Amino acid sequence: MLLARPGAPSAPTRRAALRPAAASRCAAVRNQSTTAAVPQIPPVEDDADDYDGTDHVRFPPLEKLPPRATSLPSPPPQRALESAKLAALHARLSLPEKLPLQTLARALVDSSADENPQFNNTNLAFVGQALINYQVSEWLMCRYPRLPMNVLFAAMKGYAGQQSLHQVARSWGIEHAAAPGGEVDPGLLQFSLHKPGDAIVGFGYTRAEHENVLKRNWRHGIASRVVFDDDFGELVHTDEELAQMSRRADTEYGNKLTRALAERAYANCARAVVGALYAHAGREPARAFVRAHVLSRTLDVARLFGFKNPTRELRMLCAREDFEPPVARLLSETGRASRTPVFVVGIFSGRDKLGEAAGPSLEHARTKAAMNALKAWYLYSPGEHVRVPSDMLAEDARPWEPAYIDIGEIIGR
Amino acid sequence: MEAIATRPVLLPCCRRAVTASSGPSRLVLNTLPSGARQKSSAARTRRALRIPPHPSFFAGPDGGTARPTTDEIIFNPPSSEPSVYHTPFKFLPKTDPRRRANLTSELLASSTTIQYPSSSSSSSSTATAPKSPEDFPALGRVPTQDKPPHHLTKADIEEMRRLRAEDPVTNSVQTLARRFGCSKLFVLMCCQAPPEHRARVQAELEATQARWGPRRRAAREERARRFAMLFNGEL
Repeated sequence: MLLARPGAPSAPTRRAALRPAAASRCAAVRNQSTTAAVPQIPPVEDDADDYDGTDHVRFPPLEKLPPRATSLPSPPPQRALESAKLAALHARLSLPEKLPLQTLARALVDSSADENPQFNNTNLAFVGQALINYQVSEWLMCRYPRLPMNVLFAAMKGYAGQQSLHQVARSWGIEHAAAPGGEVDPGLLQFSLHKPGDAIVGFGYTRAEHENVLKRNWRHGIASRVVFDDDFGELVHTDEELAQMSRRADTEYGNKLTRALAERAYANCARAVVGALYAHAGREPARAFVRAHVLSRTLDVARLFGFKNPTRELRMLCAREDFEPPVARLLSETGRASRTPVFVVGIFSGRDKLGEAAGPSLEHARTKAAMNALKAWYLYSPGEHVRVPSDMLAEDARPWEPAYIDIGEIIGR
Repeated sequence: MEAIATRPVLLPCCRRAVTASSGPSRLVLNTLPSGARQKSSAARTRRALRIPPHPSFFAGPDGGTARPTTDEIIFNPPSSEPSVYHTPFKFLPKTDPRRRANLTSELLASSTTIQYPSSSSSSSSTATAPKSPEDFPALGRVPTQDKPPHHLTKADIEEMRRLRAEDPVTNSVQTLARRFGCSKLFVLMCCQAPPEHRARVQAELEATQARWGPRRRAAREERARRFAMLFNGEL
């Protein structure tokens, strides 16, 4: 089943079922204020229709709320212009004037807070994740053209995964509301821990063997990950998993699942800001924003590698590339008879040294040297500032020189 | 070495000296002709710590021994592992500009050539410095041929399988590899021992492992865990 669905089917009926009667009446006049005509509703005193049980004499509202605001699932868009937090966030991120505060406020409403796709950030986050993942993957492909697919997936996740984007959004100073609602400040990120929401902001299929892969350790090979799984080569969650998540989130407090929900809300918010920037300001500002906030982060790709039989892999590499077979040679050593010896082993192919490492035993040093040689092969880079294909979208771009493409991996995984 | 050897002699001597004398014991100990010399004086410590600077601090443009008088930067980094982000010359693709730039120097010297400074003090060490990788001792077998010979025919492999199935004890993997002139891995790829032989070998292994005490078992488990960490780049 393709999980990425177009548009927003059947939302109005479900909304009517979920919302109380007074709210559904007011939803008829609820408008997204980024549209051209914004009806300015003057704040009036609450009438008896949407009395929510609050004693307004004892707990006076901090600010004048528009009518029926407290009964809405998320703040009405016209309140975005009065939020200091939102204006501060807009200024802090140096967002252009073209991006209105109302859209920025919409980027802060998760689908778990407001299920109406016209008022939450699902659409913006979908555009944002497509842009971020495209930019990160094309940059990785041009920067490290020989990365194996599983390391490429890990690097993608390191740059554009949920946890990384969560950190990015936190570093922007975005705070979250304790609970979503129409009365909270629009400058706060709003998500609910009680229902996971149905936002789908990525591509991928749910697999028929999903359960068996997780529980019985079925084969989960790289080739099928490219086709079926999401952009980071990870299984797409099924509906049952989401239902189980919501059940457990209701019973426990602050468990792994609620943290995952919060992480997802923050990551979707970061994606939605990129999507909003693309929608209002265009391609180049969005690219510059992703370069500044996502690609500028430091990720040591050399630490993402894991090997099983590095000496054999190196021998196969040398055979494939018509190099002389690799030979490990002892470059220097100290304290062989002591408790803490150090051996420095280099791996040579012909007269060239491919890798070198120090270790406490000959076998250890030799394996590490082979791993270093393989990493040196895989981490070949044409340069620090490589050109990527989307650079050609600019008007005055230089003619394109073909990027280096490697013939493929040494060992199929 | 000397101090350790003389200490058993020294201790009874000290005791005797202290008990025999009536004065302060410190003076007596200082006057003793002992073989264990400690760095008890500041002068001796200062002299021992007075190490001349590294030769690279003196190596000026003329290679002289005087300190540089003009402002210049001395780059003398500590020894460290080579970075994996530095691609060896052999791994550069044919189209890479670095390959063309380095080709002339590569023709004259390999990447293992150690470039010593051309000062007079280190000229003697360049003469003895190893120039080629063959001067370093190899670990394990050095492959003699570049290409696998592919000399075994289908009949040879059938014969190998027959021998292994007949008597897996006499015709072990190593014996077959020597007899047919191939690697043990190739023998393992060609034929499989009968199941009863495999069960017997497994039982022998388990009997051996049952004799291991807690220390040996823990040491083996730790070694395996250390190698797993090594493969994941954690060591």
